[in-house]
Amino acid sequence: MALRPGRFVATLGAALLAAGCGDAGSGPEPAREAAPAVATVGTTVDLAGVNELVSGGVRFTNEILDQLFLSLLAEQPDWAEHPPTLAPSLAESRELAADGRQLVFHLRADARWSDGAPVTAEDVRFTWRAQRAPEIAWAYAQSKEAIEDVEVVDARTVRFRFRHAYPYQVVDANDGRILPEHAWSALPFESWRRSEPWFRERLVTSGPFRLAAWDPGQEIVLEPNPESSGTTRPGLDRVVFRVVPDAAALVERLLAGEIDFLDGLTPRDAARVEASPRLRLAVSDARQFDYIAWNLRRAPFDDPEIRLALTLGIDRQALVDALWQGYARVAAGPVPAGVWARDPELAPWPYDPQRAREILARRGFRDADGDGLLERDGKPLAFELTTNSANRLRVEAAVLIRDQLRRIGVTVQPRLIEMNALGEVMRSGGFEALLGGWAIDTTLDFRPYFHSASIGDEGWNTIAYRNPEVDRLLDEVRAEPDLASARPRLVRVQRILHAEQPYTFLWEPRRLAAVARDLEGVEVSHLSAFGTLARWSRRSARD
Amino acid sequence: MAKVLARRLSIAAALVLAVVTAAFLLVEALPGGPGALPEDPRVPPAQAERLRAAWGLDRPLGERYVRFLLSALGGDWGPSLAQHRPAAEVIAGALPWTLLLSGTALLIELAGGLALGLAAARRPGGAFDRASSVGTLALRAVPGFWLALLLLSAFALRWPLAPAGGVSTPGLDGGPFARLADLAAHLALPALAIGLPAAAGAARFVRAALLEIAGEPFLAAARARGLTPRRVLFGHALRAATAPLVQLLGFSLGGVLSGSLAVEVVFAWPGMGRVVFDALAARDYPVLVAGAALSAVAVIAASALAELAHAALDPRVRDA
Repeated sequence: MALRPGRFVATLGAALLAAGCGDAGSGPEPAREAAPAVATVGTTVDLAGVNELVSGGVRFTNEILDQLFLSLLAEQPDWAEHPPTLAPSLAESRELAADGRQLVFHLRADARWSDGAPVTAEDVRFTWRAQRAPEIAWAYAQSKEAIEDVEVVDARTVRFRFRHAYPYQVVDANDGRILPEHAWSALPFESWRRSEPWFRERLVTSGPFRLAAWDPGQEIVLEPNPESSGTTRPGLDRVVFRVVPDAAALVERLLAGEIDFLDGLTPRDAARVEASPRLRLAVSDARQFDYIAWNLRRAPFDDPEIRLALTLGIDRQALVDALWQGYARVAAGPVPAGVWARDPELAPWPYDPQRAREILARRGFRDADGDGLLERDGKPLAFELTTNSANRLRVEAAVLIRDQLRRIGVTVQPRLIEMNALGEVMRSGGFEALLGGWAIDTTLDFRPYFHSASIGDEGWNTIAYRNPEVDRLLDEVRAEPDLASARPRLVRVQRILHAEQPYTFLWEPRRLAAVARDLEGVEVSHLSAFGTLARWSRRSARD
Repeated sequence: MAKVLARRLSIAAALVLAVVTAAFLLVEALPGGPGALPEDPRVPPAQAERLRAAWGLDRPLGERYVRFLLSALGGDWGPSLAQHRPAAEVIAGALPWTLLLSGTALLIELAGGLALGLAAARRPGGAFDRASSVGTLALRAVPGFWLALLLLSAFALRWPLAPAGGVSTPGLDGGPFARLADLAAHLALPALAIGLPAAAGAARFVRAALLEIAGEPFLAAARARGLTPRRVLFGHALRAATAPLVQLLGFSLGGVLSGSLAVEVVFAWPGMGRVVFDALAARDYPVLVAGAALSAVAVIAASALAELAHAALDPRVRDA
């Protein structure tokens, strides 16, 4: 039997037609007659889903869902002088009872879903039930642990009952976007984790935008939600998020004029953007710090003096200059500069290799055999520095740190591990030193990293750091009536961590985004790249 | 004949079962195990364990394997842990795109390989042969992602002859033919990025095969019968030289369903390569195992087809 080309081509033609007429081939609705104001945003990742309880957790997805679903309150990016303001959103006001255990929200009368149904207290209660349902296992369910019940007082009033009072009750009550009870309650919770398309088919939104189209792996199209109760009607007729998984290809398409906005640029790409006449660079703080975590279970990292010597032996300004090209700051502690709770007197440890050598010598490390490397009791001062193999910047940092520490006689072996495997290594404490990064949130709750109760399954104190004073201070922060009054304690915690160096705090990166010059109203903040999306407009469309 | 077919089918079924089992166990053995867990200070490891329980990953391995296998036999590969919809649906969404891209690339490989190989073999050592030798070698040596980026930069961005990525133009207004043309335009660069290096390899193969059989007695007999050189080449030599090429294509065909990760990523093509890569990153074992099973079936079927085609094309094999 011969392979007949004619048949083969016919089969391929059928496949072409089938693919061309399939779901993924269908684009968004045809363009309107009047030229619509459109912005094209580039992204390397796709939307993970429309239901945040099963698909949330990824930054890009969260920032898109913020445009589709509102929370009771909206966190503002104003945390330089005080804890961030929580502005009215679906709720127009709130009041905390005198005993501190009851928090009442009053919903706005004009809050509506995109199908015209009102947003009610039933939606708020439904959302809370789903958030704590074990069948759904929402990743952030812990924020609801202190909430005993959510009661519907009337259609526009809802009461949260807490087990006890603490400073960020409002933040916890507000955590998560409100879901549509009338559209999504028909599906039992046990089916939520296998039914993403079901939610998409019944999607109604309360935010300024609605999902006009979503071709998985291709593009996401947002259009203004005509029922949105927000005061700002979006200035764009359409926002197209184009998914291009390859970052290099995405940057090329940005520079060629196909993309109007791209978040998450590398410092190298930032220089190319600055050279482009069509684009401008938007730089903002990122709420993140990168660090080396020393595993205190293992000698010699159990000795704070050794940890300090290692910090002094790393030229972090040189790392920032080489890797970030100025788009980062040397870190001094877990609270980044520009955040209200940062200790103003805290300065990063300097690069001081001479002092590092002296400390190590005091601790018994000598170069006995003259090879330039330090030993104690015949054992070299050597360790593995573990990091995520997919993060090119951290891999380069690990190599530079190896070279820097070698100058003070310390041997470092970079150990590169795939992301999921790294998570397992972190959880099990199977590392000597770990180069990583943490994003911090509104609450500035450092218990997960540094409280001794967070060693093991209840937190991320993977280095087994223990300091009774830090434990007490972090517990007291949680007992303060409001977060602002916790500032002296947070400052004290920063000073102890600075002195004891359980982490070497490396840098605080900045968030870099490229914006087309004719796109107005774009403000990138540590909270979101799209916080002002409803205010974006095209100068060319208005002219 | 029926006995042989039954034996072949049972071997194929055993192979697919072995692949499914190996894929299932491999994900299990990976550090972190199945299901990517969030690394976020707001998500304590204990909550991550509750998430594992919601996925059913807290059950013993043997129980999960048997359950998985039984439901897979019924066509249910379980829900994707990352996309929260049936794994079969995830695969079914990507498969037509991969078939389309790989099928077109295979055509480029076959047509380009035959044409180039034939032209080069007509005058061995001639100018075209030397140029083609350098060109095909260079194409084979270029890494796939680099060629894809090169094609993208040159023919989509600098001289925009084809779209830069995706499978359709957003907001395209037009009938089925306009959409088909649009799809073909989107297909061009990714298909060339896969097809060109493959065609280069095939051309070298065809050239070598043609030169090898140049002195064979059956060609001398054809010439002795008074056939024109053209008929000898196309009617006899090429047919014999194509037979091993078909076997080579059989191997390519086996890999067709796996997709091409680098090209799919650069051109944002929603095919199997990306699906499997994303599933691996997310430790999404239902999608990974379903993808592996599909690939196994494709490889087995393609090998069988290639054997049959080889026998049909080459009388030396058929009559042996």
